[in-house]
Amino acid sequence: MPVTSYKKYFSLLAFVAPAFIFYTLFLLIPTIGGMFYSFTDWNGLNRDYSFIGLGNFIEALREDPDFVNSLLFTLKYVLFMVVLQNVFALVLAVFIESKVRTKGFFRTIFFMPNMISTIISAFMWTFVFSQVLPQIAEKTAFTFLDQLWIGDPQVSFYSIIIVSLWNGVGYMMIIYLAALQGVPQSLKEAAVIDGATPFQTFRSVTMPMITHAITICFFLTLNGAFKVFEVVYGLTGGGPGRSTQVITMNIYEEAFSNNFRYGYASAKSVILFVIILIFTFIQISVMKRKEVEA
Amino acid sequence: MKRTTKGVLCSLLAATLLAGCGGNNGGNTGNTDSAAGNNTVSAEAKSVTLKMFIAQPRFKEHYDKYIADFVAKEKADKNIDVSVQLEMPTADNASQILKTRLASNDAPDIFAIHAVNEIPSYYKAGYLEDLSSQPFAGKLLDSVRPSVTTTDGKIVALPLETLSWGYLYNKKIFTDLGLTSPTTLTEMKAVVEKLKASNITPFVLSYKESWIPQLVLPLAVGGMVKTKDADFVDKMNKDEGSFTDMKSAIFDVFDLINANGTTKATEVGGDDGAAAFAAGKGAMWLQGPWYAETILKSNPDLDFGVAPLPINDDPSATLINLSASTSLAVSPTSKNKEVALDFMNYVLDDQASNAFFQALKFNPVATIHTYESYPWIDDAMVYVKEGKSVQDPAIPQSVKDEVGKGLQAYYAGQMSQDDVLKALDKAWKSYNKVNK
Repeated sequence: MPVTSYKKYFSLLAFVAPAFIFYTLFLLIPTIGGMFYSFTDWNGLNRDYSFIGLGNFIEALREDPDFVNSLLFTLKYVLFMVVLQNVFALVLAVFIESKVRTKGFFRTIFFMPNMISTIISAFMWTFVFSQVLPQIAEKTAFTFLDQLWIGDPQVSFYSIIIVSLWNGVGYMMIIYLAALQGVPQSLKEAAVIDGATPFQTFRSVTMPMITHAITICFFLTLNGAFKVFEVVYGLTGGGPGRSTQVITMNIYEEAFSNNFRYGYASAKSVILFVIILIFTFIQISVMKRKEVEA
Repeated sequence: MKRTTKGVLCSLLAATLLAGCGGNNGGNTGNTDSAAGNNTVSAEAKSVTLKMFIAQPRFKEHYDKYIADFVAKEKADKNIDVSVQLEMPTADNASQILKTRLASNDAPDIFAIHAVNEIPSYYKAGYLEDLSSQPFAGKLLDSVRPSVTTTDGKIVALPLETLSWGYLYNKKIFTDLGLTSPTTLTEMKAVVEKLKASNITPFVLSYKESWIPQLVLPLAVGGMVKTKDADFVDKMNKDEGSFTDMKSAIFDVFDLINANGTTKATEVGGDDGAAAFAAGKGAMWLQGPWYAETILKSNPDLDFGVAPLPINDDPSATLINLSASTSLAVSPTSKNKEVALDFMNYVLDDQASNAFFQALKFNPVATIHTYESYPWIDDAMVYVKEGKSVQDPAIPQSVKDEVGKGLQAYYAGQMSQDDVLKALDKAWKSYNKVNK
C-alpha cells in the first residue's frame, strides 16, 4: 500500500519537523561547519583561509603538551565524577525511598542545588572556599579548613569535584528514585519471604531491575563530565597556570584568547567529540547487555 | 470656591494643551511640507543611518548625549539627517560579536576596538580605514599617537581610553614613613625593608586572574627596550630573540614582590586585591590606575599614586608604561563614510570634546584637552613629561596570556623560571607561525 505508507511518513515528518528544523539550523549545520573548519587555518577574522588537511589534528596530539595535559586532567575528572556521582546518587535515592513520610522534603533538599545554574554555584563556592572556610577555621579549632582550597593545584581538583557533585548528584538521584519506584513490590516481598537480607534484596532484585536507569545515569555523567566547563571556569579559571585546565577550557582558550586559531580549536573540538563518541558507545553497548525486564 | 478655581484652571490647562497640540501639528505639517519642498528643489536634506558599535554600556548616557549633539551639528552644518543606531554590548562578548559582523560583511560604520591588542590583526584583515589624513589625527598627543599607528605608519583609530601606569602605592603609608617611590631595584629593596620594619606588608598580591601577574611583563620588556635591548620585539617577531635575555628583568622584581607580599595570592582576584589595597593591607600593588574607581568605592579617602616599577639598578629603565585600549575605528566598507568621518572628527572637536572626555573620566588624548584630571593621572604625567615613559611594547596577546599563566604557575611552584621563559618563546614563535 504505497499511499498509506506515504501518509504514515508524512505525519511522522509533520510531527518531527519543528524540532528537526531547529536542530538542523542551530546544531547540525554549525557542527558540520565546525568539522569543516577543523581542516583549515581560519582565524575567525580573515575572509580567506586555506586547507591544511590533518595538520591541526597532528599538531594537537603531537606538539601541544597543554592540550594533552588538559585531556589527561579531564579523564581523571571523568573517572572521579562517573563513579562518585552515581554512587552518591544511588545511595541518596535508596535512603530517600526508604523514608515514607519525609520523602518529599529530602527529595527537594537534595535536588535544590541542581536548580542553581552551574556557574553561579561555582561562584558561590568560590566565596565559601576563599572566605567562609578560613573564617570558620579562625573561629573554631578546625585549622585544616584554613588552606588554599582553589589556589593550590593539589587541592583544587577535589574542590572542583566537591562542587560538581553538589551540583549534579540531585538530578541523577531523581532518575534513580523513579527507577526504584518502578521495581515491583511483589518481587521484593518474594525475596523477603525467601529469607533474603535487605542487602541481598537490593543486590539481587533491585539492582538488576534498575539497570536501565544506571545505563542512563552513566551515559549522562560520562557525557557531562567530558564537557565540564563552568565549574572549573568559575572556581579556578583553569589556574594556577594551567594546572586545572580541562579540555573544553583549552579549546576555548585556543579559539577566543590566544591566537584566535578557530580552525585549530575546531580540530580539538572534533577530537573531543570523537573521544566522547567512543566512550559512550562502549559504555552503552556494554550496559545494554546487562539490562533485564521484569 | 476652591473647587471652581480648580475647575477653571483645569479647563484652562486643557485648552492650552489642546491649543499647543494643534500648534505643533500645524508646525509639523509645515515642516514636512517645507522639507519636501526643499527636496524637490535642491535634494539637499539627505537622511543617513549610522551604525555604531561601542562596548561601553556603562557610559551609555554620555554617548547618547554626545551623539545627539553631533546629529544636531550635522543637520545645521551639512543639512544631513543622521539617525544613529548605537549598539553597546558588554565588553566580555563584544569582540566576538564584532568579529561575526565583520566576517559576515555586516560591519558597523564606526566600531570600538582595543588599540594594542586588536589593531594589528584587524588592520591586516583589512577592516580598518586609514585615518591619517583626518583633522583629528593632528591633534593627538605625541605620547598617545604611536599606540594607534600601524607598523607601516598609518593612523587607523581614534584612542578614547589611554593608560599610563606602573604600580600603585599608598601615599599615606609612604609619607608617614618618609619614603619616596624608588628609582632602582636596590632602593626598592630598602623601601621593602623599611616597610617590613614597621610591620606593613609591602605588596598586595592578587594572582587569581592570570592577567594580573602578566602586568610585570610589559613593564620589564618596556624598560629593557628603552635601555639595553631596543630591538627585542623585532627580534622576537623574526624568531631570532629569546626571553632568556629578559630573565633578570622579569624575575628579579617579580621575586622581590612575591617574597614580600600578602598571602593566598592565587585565591585573590582583582576586586579583592583592590579591597585589600584600599584597606591598607599592603603599601604597593602591581596594578594600573584602571582600578581607581573600585579602590575608591571601598575606601573613598585613600590617597594613592602611580609610580614606575624599577626592574634593575638602572634608573633610566624605571619607566611609566603608555598604552591605549578602547579606540574608535571606521569601517572601509561603510556606505556613509563621510558622515562617519565627521563623527570621528567631532569626537575631538575643539569645543565639545573637552567636556565629553572629562565626563567619561578618560585621560587627555589630544592637545585640545585642557581639563583637570585625577591626581594619579597627574602623578604619571609628571614622569611622562620627564621622559620617563615608554610605549607599551607590542607583545602579542597570546604571549601575554601565556606569561600570565606561566607566572601563576611559577608563583604556585609548578614551573621554574626557565620553564616560563621557554613557554614564552614558544608562544611567540607560534604567534609568528600563525600570523605569517
